[in-house]
Amino acid sequence: MRTVHPSIIIGSYVWDPDRVPRDEFQIRIGGLHRVMDANGWKAVLVYGDAAEHSALAWFTAFTTRLRWGMALIPREGEPRLLISMSSRDVPAMKLMTWIADVVSGWNWESAFDPWLARIAGEGPIDIGSIGFELMRPPLFASLRKSLGDRFRLHAADDAVAAMRTVRPRERSQISAASRLVQTAAASFIEPWRLGVGVETAALTAERTARMAGAQDVRTLMSFDGGRTLAPFRGAFAPQADRQTPLAGYVAVKHMGYWADVFVTGLRTMSSPHMHAQAGLRALLDLAKPGAAACDLHAAATRELGAYALHPVLSGSVGRRIGLSLNEGGELKAGSRETLAPGEIYSLHVGVCDSQAGGALTSAMIAVTTTGSEIIHLSPAPNVL
Amino acid sequence: MGAPKVRLEATVRYLETEALNGLVAVNYGHNSFLESHAVFVLAGVRPIGESAVVVDRSGASTLIVTPAWDADRVAAVSQTSRTVGTDDLPAALTSVLAAHGLDGRKTVTVGLATLAHSLAGRIESALGGNSHANDLLIRQLARIRSFEEIAAAETATAIAERGYAHMLACVRPGMREYELAAELYCAMKGLGAEDNFLLLSASQHNLAVRAAGSRVLDEGDVILSEITPCYQGQFAQLCRTTVIAKPTSVMQDKYALLQAAMRAGQQAAVPGAAVRDVTAAMDACFRAAGYGDYCRPPYMRVRGHGLGITSDLPGDLTADSDARLEKGMVFVMHPNQYIPETGYLMCGEPVVITDAGAKALSARAANLDSVAV
Repeated sequence: MRTVHPSIIIGSYVWDPDRVPRDEFQIRIGGLHRVMDANGWKAVLVYGDAAEHSALAWFTAFTTRLRWGMALIPREGEPRLLISMSSRDVPAMKLMTWIADVVSGWNWESAFDPWLARIAGEGPIDIGSIGFELMRPPLFASLRKSLGDRFRLHAADDAVAAMRTVRPRERSQISAASRLVQTAAASFIEPWRLGVGVETAALTAERTARMAGAQDVRTLMSFDGGRTLAPFRGAFAPQADRQTPLAGYVAVKHMGYWADVFVTGLRTMSSPHMHAQAGLRALLDLAKPGAAACDLHAAATRELGAYALHPVLSGSVGRRIGLSLNEGGELKAGSRETLAPGEIYSLHVGVCDSQAGGALTSAMIAVTTTGSEIIHLSPAPNVL
Repeated sequence: MGAPKVRLEATVRYLETEALNGLVAVNYGHNSFLESHAVFVLAGVRPIGESAVVVDRSGASTLIVTPAWDADRVAAVSQTSRTVGTDDLPAALTSVLAAHGLDGRKTVTVGLATLAHSLAGRIESALGGNSHANDLLIRQLARIRSFEEIAAAETATAIAERGYAHMLACVRPGMREYELAAELYCAMKGLGAEDNFLLLSASQHNLAVRAAGSRVLDEGDVILSEITPCYQGQFAQLCRTTVIAKPTSVMQDKYALLQAAMRAGQQAAVPGAAVRDVTAAMDACFRAAGYGDYCRPPYMRVRGHGLGITSDLPGDLTADSDARLEKGMVFVMHPNQYIPETGYLMCGEPVVITDAGAKALSARAANLDSVAV
């Protein structure tokens, strides 16, 4: 789900070497070295910004709270991490990564050019890049100027995505995030059940997650019975409209990993909710290695009957989730993706009807070698 | 008439003066408290994703928002003539330009440099590749806050002060930094803060403020907080220093330096004053106390800065800034400083420029606060 990106990510992102030790990153960098060798690249530059930094975090543990960060990872030698923060902030940023060489990128020429000069070889020298489509034009121009004619950039996104499997430690972290989002979901529904307004309920969920160490929390809520979702607006209706169903969304980032869930509260089970749940069941039944994204989409939407897929899902019934809320692999009508063992998906199904209202439900699953395991489901609709 | 309407009209006058047919202002879907949000300035609303506003010389305007499903919410409050929802901003922009009868090559753009370069490239293509960029335009139009914007900034400041009071009431040794940050953040959100650039950290000797970590608060810790709620698009920032124990006399003496620097900055910040002179007035307090060598990074960053998302002007308060202050500008002034004897200390208020100098929006000026153990 698209949610409002905050002005800064405020949670605790100090690198925890007990949970993800240096040797884990050596394994990941080793995989990157193999990609470099296969392509003849002397280095890979991994870019991330505050909104999307999945690859950067995977290789460095560093989460970009603000502006941008870029890991300069050579085939030979030590990596450097450039951060778009002042020199005053470098000591704090060093706590967020296993990389020792952390430098402010605000003076580009002194931060990047000397590192680049260490790469030996006759030009043109090939270098891989990740995430560069996200880079702002002025920074991209500076980078191009530094590379000049001696270096050639090659997009490494696909090659690196192919070698990036969900590792056991990651699976453990995702499970922890899942537990936290389930706790937050319960904290969303319970206040509403007791009669408070939807924004107060959403804020209760957020507070619960943050007090438990969530690094980021995103919520969306419906003010019209699930027909649309909206971000926080601060109106805080004192009491819930008990005639109107509760529809909300909460996503929690914990130990670097996202988990998300839709929550529902109803007076009585309605036709839209039964259809949405049927669609989700169809997805869960079919989710296994080799299942085609377009077939999953078709199976889910078939169960919706006369209802249309909810507009807030933007035509998708799921996607991979992990270090980013959207790791790709959209389950859409025209998608060519297939599910693979080890992947983690967030499945979203919903319908919207102008008369009957809207309904949204979700699950997170891990694709196994033979099928899939449910990590969590939306809480059963809380019928008053 | 609200501020967005006034700025849309000013945009039309600019187009006439510059003999341009239209304006395309974009935002990348973030609310940077250090940057101007051109779409918010013109439309009065913050879309969830990437967005654009198109204005033509007749005064007609269209807001384009992503994702498409956010359009109804945004249309209800947008000050533009029309709102369009899309999941493909460049494609929708092409259609909107045609609907306005605009040739993209005779438009001025604002904010393309803030987009991801792949998206910026697609938008430049939609504009025909020869548009004229003026990234200062909206920042200039919005540099003086309107009456309603100052009122919103005052509310944001009041939220920050109530949040800080809540923090003082609940902080205790044994809490983790992130728990205290959660208390503070959620208390302010409960008061209506839609966003918050919140930094909060503690140490027995701080080098700088940073985001909250998992450190357990202890007796003798100095808590630094940069409390920055946003209310109706107006960020306001308090910089505060809190000691978990009775502050030492050295700490009190050194904190008084920051307070003196703050007062000096406020007095110097009259309409027409150069930002460099205001900065120098603050720095002079530290130099006189023998800390001249520390009036530079990494011992401090800047002496204050503009506050998004309306306009980031007057920019950073630095010794080399050529900017000049104007009546009605709102920004944060903060002579935060590393002092060798005490570590980093913070003292800062949101201010509005008046004829008498920089008037703090906060009801209580920063003190060296303490929490009894």
